Amino acid sequence: MIAIDSLEVTLSGKKILSDISIEIPDGRWSCLVGPNGAGKTTLLKVLLGTAPYSGSVKSDGVEVFRNQKRNVAFVPQQPHIPQGMSVAEYVALGRSKRDGWGNESAASRSFISSILEQTNLYGMQRQPVTQLSGGEMQRTLIARALVQEPELILLDEPTSALDLHHQIEVLNNLQILQAQGVTIVSTMHDITLAAMYAERIIVMREGRVLVDGPSESIIHSPQLKAAFDDRINVFTLDSGRPVVVARKDELER
Amino acid sequence: MSSSEQASTSSGISPIWNWRITALCGALLLVVGLAAISFGPINLSFIHIIKTLARLPGGLSGQDKTVLIDLRLPRAILAALVGAALATSGAVYQSVFRNPLADPYLLGAASGAGLGATIAITNAHGNVYSLLPIFSFIGGTLAVLTSFFISGRFFAEPQSLLLSGIAVGSFATAVQTYLQQRHSASLRPVYSWILGELTVANWQIVTWSSVYILMAIGILIAVSKQLDGLMLSDEEAFSLGINPNRLRIIAVSAATLATATAVSASGLIGFVGIVVPHLVRGITHRVTNRNLLTISLAGAAFLVLADLGARTLLSPAELPIGVITAFVGAPFFLVVLRKRRTFSR
Repeated sequence: MIAIDSLEVTLSGKKILSDISIEIPDGRWSCLVGPNGAGKTTLLKVLLGTAPYSGSVKSDGVEVFRNQKRNVAFVPQQPHIPQGMSVAEYVALGRSKRDGWGNESAASRSFISSILEQTNLYGMQRQPVTQLSGGEMQRTLIARALVQEPELILLDEPTSALDLHHQIEVLNNLQILQAQGVTIVSTMHDITLAAMYAERIIVMREGRVLVDGPSESIIHSPQLKAAFDDRINVFTLDSGRPVVVARKDELER
Repeated sequence: MSSSEQASTSSGISPIWNWRITALCGALLLVVGLAAISFGPINLSFIHIIKTLARLPGGLSGQDKTVLIDLRLPRAILAALVGAALATSGAVYQSVFRNPLADPYLLGAASGAGLGATIAITNAHGNVYSLLPIFSFIGGTLAVLTSFFISGRFFAEPQSLLLSGIAVGSFATAVQTYLQQRHSASLRPVYSWILGELTVANWQIVTWSSVYILMAIGILIAVSKQLDGLMLSDEEAFSLGINPNRLRIIAVSAATLATATAVSASGLIGFVGIVVPHLVRGITHRVTNRNLLTISLAGAAFLVLADLGARTLLSPAELPIGVITAFVGAPFFLVVLRKRRTFSR
């Protein structure tokens, strides 16, 4: 479990996160939702251990800042794509923490092959990553995270650049990981998808957490609507599945 | 096929093949090294050279032995050291700054060293060449330290170091030009040094430059595999077990030490730091820093060969080695770029 207590983050004199006290349970998928500028990406960087903070963020009782003993995978929204590195080499970087840099074992190479197959990248191993489409690059990033066999995986908008078909494909891959007991924390703009996949939703706005709890109750909460200035509607399909849509403003004529 | 080779092939990662290229570059260095100490105004036979170096009976004696031991051998070794230093530093800078056009002279090392050398030449009374390495080493190191100091934001954004390096370099070049204009008699020796030369090579220069260059290359090869992580964002590198800021400081410091030493030992030899890393990457189709040792050996072989050309093409006159590296390097570079584009299509 990650216990966050009175978390504050200030960057260049500006308060980005303030007064956050929540718990992130192990083995569950928690999703951060909220408008742009709510501090979702900064909270992900705090959980990774790269953003300095005041207060306390403890994973199994140990502060996470600059703690590299944990095996945490990070999938950024806009990755730096190295010129000319092949898909296989890029995905293999995920083994660095387990095998040492550039020392993948034979077992690791077999594992990499199986992950490439799972993420539909098999056959593209030698293709330079610079030539991948948005969807292929996203799958490559997910493959690298899967190869890492992390205890916690952090994803910043993993589906934002993808069409619906590929969104479901990526999220299904993450669900397989979750079934194996890996803790997942992601940000997602599509709240319908967040409610479909994540077990917990954490609603944020202006650096604060408005509410967090099980997806099915949060999706109907007034705080979710408040986070988006009451400009969303939540419908429930016959199957019981909630759908969140933006409300169209009526223009005065 | 062994199980590990099968796994390598199916995952698309084949480290074994990479070692073959490394061994090939090592062998190439030995061959061109032997050629470099053999050919010149006086040709020495391979057998006699090997016998002399192995201290076997029947080796060279008299003037031939002096040519081999005191002239050609230190010159070939210095060329190899400088070539390895420039190629390795170039490859490392390209990774650290995520810029394929980064070269070893980027942070002001070259301009600072040039200014140091100009100060030595314009103010020297007597044997200027004994002072050149010291002045240019101090000048190059001071310029890089100034770049570090001015950038300040190195930890937040490596590109700011690159920009302050360009500013410091331009300033040093301006001061150098001013000094040259005021001491017009010194123009020729300064330009000769700027174009790069290995004629001053002796065992003293080889000894002190080898200490710094081998130490720097050793450090860079030790961290070379981790350097791949710097091609990602800092967050991704951290998640893969790297401390990106610490690694950047180690890599840039070692690469700068190698560059400053190379510049102070042999002047400014252009093109090696860009051509050789791209050449090796083009041939191996690998951009990763796993091939840094291969790049070092290829850089050494390239400069030994270039120096052989500089000594023998217009013999007994000598061409500046920088002319050879650019003359040979540029077309080679274009061929590799074209092949790479075809490969990646």
